[in-house]
Amino acid sequence: MKRWDLTLLVILILEICIFAYANPKFLMPRVIFGSINDIIPICIISLFVTMVMITAGIDIQAGAVVGLSSIIVGVTWQDLGLNIWVASLVAIIIAALVGLLTGYIVAYYQVQPMVVTLGGSFLYAGLALLISTLSSTESYKGISGFPESFVNFASYRIGGVLPVQVVVFLVMTAIAWFLLHKTKYGRKIFLIGINQNAAEYSGINTRFIIMSTYVLSGIAAAVSGILLTSYLGTAKSDLGATITLPIITAVVLGGTLMTGGKGSIIGTALAAVIIGVLKFGLPLCFRVNMQYLDIPVGLLLLIVISARALSNRPEVIVFISNLKKKNRS
Amino acid sequence: MSESQFLLEARDVFKSFGLNQVLKGITLTLKSSEVVALIGGNGAGKSTLMKILMGIYKPDQGEFKINGQNLENLNPKKSMKAGIYMVPQEPMIFPHMTVLDNILIGFSGKKADLEKKLEHFYRQINCKIDLNRLGMTLSIAEQQMVELLRGLMRESKILILDEPTSSLTFDEVQTLFEIVRDLKKKGIGIIYITHRLSEVFELADSICIMADGKITLRGETSKFTREMLVQALLPPSFTPASKTRTELETKIRNAMPILQLKNFSGYGFKDISFNVLEGEIVGIAGVVGAGRTELANTIFGKEVPLGGNVILDGEDITGRSTADVIRMGINYVPEDRRCNGLFGISPVCANITSALLASKITGNIALNTSEEIRISEKYIKDFRIKVTSPYQEAGSLSGGNQQKVVIARSLSTMPKLVILDEPTRGIDAGARGDVYKIIRELSQTGVAVIVISSDTEEIIELADRAIVFCRGRVSAVLEKDDINQQNITSASFGIYKEEANA
Amino acid sequence: MLKQIINRYESKAFAFLILMFALVSVVNSDFLTGESVVNCFNDSVVFTLLAVGSAFVILTGEIDVSVGSVLGISAAVAATILRDGGSLFTAVTMAICVGAFFGLVNGIGVAVLKIPSLIFTLGTYGVARGMVYVYTGGAWVENLPAWFTSASHSYLCGYLTWYYALVLVFVIFVQFLLSHTKKGHNFIAVGDNYQGAELVGINPTQTKIYAYVISGVFASVAGLLFTSRIGFITPMSGNSYEMKAIAACVLGGISLSGGLGTLIGAAIGAVIMTSITRILVFLGLSSNYDNTITGIILIVIVVVNTIIQNREIVKSRREISLKRIAQKAFIDNQEGSR
Repeated sequence: MKRWDLTLLVILILEICIFAYANPKFLMPRVIFGSINDIIPICIISLFVTMVMITAGIDIQAGAVVGLSSIIVGVTWQDLGLNIWVASLVAIIIAALVGLLTGYIVAYYQVQPMVVTLGGSFLYAGLALLISTLSSTESYKGISGFPESFVNFASYRIGGVLPVQVVVFLVMTAIAWFLLHKTKYGRKIFLIGINQNAAEYSGINTRFIIMSTYVLSGIAAAVSGILLTSYLGTAKSDLGATITLPIITAVVLGGTLMTGGKGSIIGTALAAVIIGVLKFGLPLCFRVNMQYLDIPVGLLLLIVISARALSNRPEVIVFISNLKKKNRS
Repeated sequence: MSESQFLLEARDVFKSFGLNQVLKGITLTLKSSEVVALIGGNGAGKSTLMKILMGIYKPDQGEFKINGQNLENLNPKKSMKAGIYMVPQEPMIFPHMTVLDNILIGFSGKKADLEKKLEHFYRQINCKIDLNRLGMTLSIAEQQMVELLRGLMRESKILILDEPTSSLTFDEVQTLFEIVRDLKKKGIGIIYITHRLSEVFELADSICIMADGKITLRGETSKFTREMLVQALLPPSFTPASKTRTELETKIRNAMPILQLKNFSGYGFKDISFNVLEGEIVGIAGVVGAGRTELANTIFGKEVPLGGNVILDGEDITGRSTADVIRMGINYVPEDRRCNGLFGISPVCANITSALLASKITGNIALNTSEEIRISEKYIKDFRIKVTSPYQEAGSLSGGNQQKVVIARSLSTMPKLVILDEPTRGIDAGARGDVYKIIRELSQTGVAVIVISSDTEEIIELADRAIVFCRGRVSAVLEKDDINQQNITSASFGIYKEEANA
Repeated sequence: MLKQIINRYESKAFAFLILMFALVSVVNSDFLTGESVVNCFNDSVVFTLLAVGSAFVILTGEIDVSVGSVLGISAAVAATILRDGGSLFTAVTMAICVGAFFGLVNGIGVAVLKIPSLIFTLGTYGVARGMVYVYTGGAWVENLPAWFTSASHSYLCGYLTWYYALVLVFVIFVQFLLSHTKKGHNFIAVGDNYQGAELVGINPTQTKIYAYVISGVFASVAGLLFTSRIGFITPMSGNSYEMKAIAACVLGGISLSGGLGTLIGAAIGAVIMTSITRILVFLGLSSNYDNTITGIILIVIVVVNTIIQNREIVKSRREISLKRIAQKAFIDNQEGSR
């Protein structure tokens, strides 16, 4: 996996160089960090969806959970009168419960994760909308007027430069990396993804571990939802409605095997940043219309995975090794 | 000569996957009404050769003739049209289709005509499967029957049977043999792939032994003895491990029972009672489906028990979870290595320590990698596992080395009792000797061992005591000199006692 | 025979639909008019096509999340042609070509390059959606000819629109082809057992490519009907429809692991999906409940179904084990009597 991480790093550096060359303004911290909020949920959530996908699962409801946690923060604060930080904690707990339910169904009833989270993406988006109608504010407007401390949180810049979201992302990456690659828990996740039967014969509680990955991805979605709410100063039920597919893109681009058992947090983090930089650099440096951005992201995904699929073919491996031989002689 | 004497000729077949050369110039011929037994260890290239004949893989080089006519650019459709049909080891059944659809899929023509033809073949091989059953409800023997019917419906002249008896019961094997002999009479040529030498002498007209991508021995069956075949199958450097049975008497007199089963019942077995002593190797013999694997799975917490007790070292562990059972001191090497044993795309070290993840040895929260490597390297050295490093992917090892990795995993938890289910199935003779050595050494350190095996020779070779299962019950307990081919076989089919009485 | 029909999943799905209608009628008898019931079917016409197209792909064991975007791009292409005075023939041909093209690309990616289908169609999803923006310049396509938009209100008889009647007949016809032709069987065989299909001489690569092309073409025809019914196209038209199409398939009893299900089931699933909105109105609930109820129904049905299925598998496995022991007793008796 290490080689793929390096490839991604090279792609990222190339990408930044090209953008910087096209428009030097691109490298100014104020600019580069300016649009961080558009990509931060993708970056954070994809880290933990990586774990879900390594167990050979999938989570396509994370986007809906982002909206759900955002509106829960708003409603519990405005209509229930909770302290804003307590409200955030409530949102995280509810998101964890949502993950628990999903994980329970997937792990203990062996329902296909794609179907459960597909249903979940309807259910939690719908619940978010319903909760927003409970509020005294009309739902399309969103709930705003949060306390200064909350609104300032996401706009706070450490040393006046580094946005707090970037720090959150880095911390989350470190946590996810440690969990997945350095702990026994992470080892179990990999083993389950490779061969769940064999993991059970090794005495691993596979169901519990699988369930827990969905809880983690739920919590990550809630954290993103709270960060977004804080940055926008508005709680809305449809935040995150469009991020499901970019999340999966980032995880896959990061080198995670759809069939489970293989993947890397560093890879996912790099891939998420590559997608983020692309989405932000193209409009800035090449005046690409924001609305067209699905095309380059889609193409990037198609080209990278096609190239990877091709390079794994035996005939291509033989071809490459022949080339190497020729070069030597 | 215009008419070729051969039904099928494959000459100088070469095939590589990437950089790995699998077939190194194979020549195979088959006459009509001939049964050729193709024997060889895993990785010898038998399946690859058959898949090339079926047109699933493209050969790098090779010439194929059927009835003297050249065949080029084979694909599954062409092969079948030319009259080749393969009944794979694990039959390819469509689980959600009816038996009728399963057989008739891929045929063109009027359904009524096809059904009529099918009825004819149904009678011919005396098949009684209801055509409206769904594929998923069929037993393996019935699935093979469906596959055979597919081949017959195509009027295939060449049938390939890939280890057809590996998961059949005794009666089913006999039925299959009948069918094979019947087909032979009708002029069909059969390539019969197998691991079992007794079947070879019963069925085959000629024998081909494959090893390492080449054919090492070929000729008419009558020219060979069992010993000659065994010799040809062994790798050149192999010397058979001398049988060193330890002093059984003293061992058992001083030993404590590690495992006690008292009227233990579960799904697939009933009223099982026996003890396993410290340092004893107990062989459990019987045919596939006699309830042996079910017993092991139930002890191991993978299936619920229906009654009785399992007592390990004085403690009742009936119905405990797998993790508990491992912690209390039992470990199990499952029968199906690929499905239940190995983490294919994981490094060897992660495989070996996977059962240790529950204990503190591998760390509290963080993974103790240096300890992991130490443990792995110890087993790699002790078991002579051929790896380039502990980080090599387990799936890239040969079958024998994979099996050693799975055994190492089970032993890493320092169990008091190890259950090995078909420990040498599908591995070559060299690795088999190593596995036997590991098992004996283990028992000498006082670990109780249960070996479940359908291979009678294996039971005779290893067991201090043999318990024979028949249809979910113990049909005989054999000791010392009573452990022989005849007793085990008769007990496996439930006729041992009567013989003893006679 | 009757038992077989009752046990079929699509029969259950249909029963569920009837039950749903019955429950609503109990709460609000106004629902029980021909108009509202038939309109539930009329409304589902776009999703029926999308779901049936997706069903082909799902039956082969793959998935297609690009259908919503393909619907969008083909609708945009056709709408632009019609707005600019092009003929219906050109519009339809172009739309279908666009759909077939994306289907072909998906098919090649999934079947030939062997890339996991969710990922590959995710890529084409993005590209196709972006192309809708490029093609329309981000603006709405409006002012379509009146004859085109009013066609969606022409009725065959009573309240039944021509569109639904045609689509229904078409789906039944295609279902007939699927279950009674050799080529049709191939789709199910490939999803049921890939290697098995290969061994009986089916070309799975070709079959999967066909499935994706069919899915693309169905999506583009759905796009045409969508345009006709709505009367305009926005760059977001058809967005997230793919999820609803997949949900409709699941509701209609198609297994996401392939090989199990029928197109009729998918069509019924589509009606269930779309009638929820209409039913809410009669229940006096706001349309805000739409997604929640869809989600709950989807999860509950699938969970219950999976639990029943798994129980049956375990039960049959255990029965076989017990039978083996029983046989032993039988043999003992025989030998005893001998």
